[in-house]
Amino acid sequence: MIDAATLAQMNGEYVMPADAGPAWRAAVKYGFDMSLLEESLKLTPEQRLAEHQRVLNFLIEVQEAGQAYAAR
Amino acid sequence: MPQDDQALLTRLRATGLDFVVIGGVCVVYYGAPMATFDLDICCPFGETNVRKIESAVRDLHPVHRLTANKLPLEETRSSFGSLKNIYLQTDFGKLDCLGEVAGVGNFEAVKERSITAKFAYGEFRFLNLEALITAKKAVGRERDLEAVRWLECVKEKRDQQKEMF
Repeated sequence: MIDAATLAQMNGEYVMPADAGPAWRAAVKYGFDMSLLEESLKLTPEQRLAEHQRVLNFLIEVQEAGQAYAAR
Repeated sequence: MPQDDQALLTRLRATGLDFVVIGGVCVVYYGAPMATFDLDICCPFGETNVRKIESAVRDLHPVHRLTANKLPLEETRSSFGSLKNIYLQTDFGKLDCLGEVAGVGNFEAVKERSITAKFAYGEFRFLNLEALITAKKAVGRERDLEAVRWLECVKEKRDQQKEMF
């Protein structure tokens, strides 16, 4: 049985880390998905740039596909 | 059009150009989950340095991407000495070279506030986190302020970890 707290998290509720400072709390309040930052900070800077390149390649492909569709 | 920042950085370094990576790639370097579609660097200008930039991208069909008729870089050599910034489109993507950074200053000021980033493909200078936040605040567009929010979280986390040791 899944408890209410877990269910809320499954539905997107963010659990504020105990050590969250004012900037972190403000970002949560602003609506940022902090899990993105948490995951990014686990990587080395070089891994971050490589991951960014991979995402960028995908986004450019999507952009070009969208342009091709619009030009039909 | 692909965007290959690693290749552009490697080519620029091979020319001997002194430069610091700024902008969105720098934001990604520090961990902010944002995508950027260009490579921004700050470098000293003057004819010699613009020629170095040109030599880095000469075979990549570089054009001044903000000019109405997308002027080829090679056709503007007579103006190289007058340029303070260059916004290029190349076969490896967009490369913006700026002579100064808002909120930080000219190349010397930018270099003074940079760090050395080490990668498998070489070492490059990146604007330091505090200066990047200052620069993004100074530009102040919505997207820059969003980057500031992320970067302030990174800085806060980094400062907390420093206090632990």
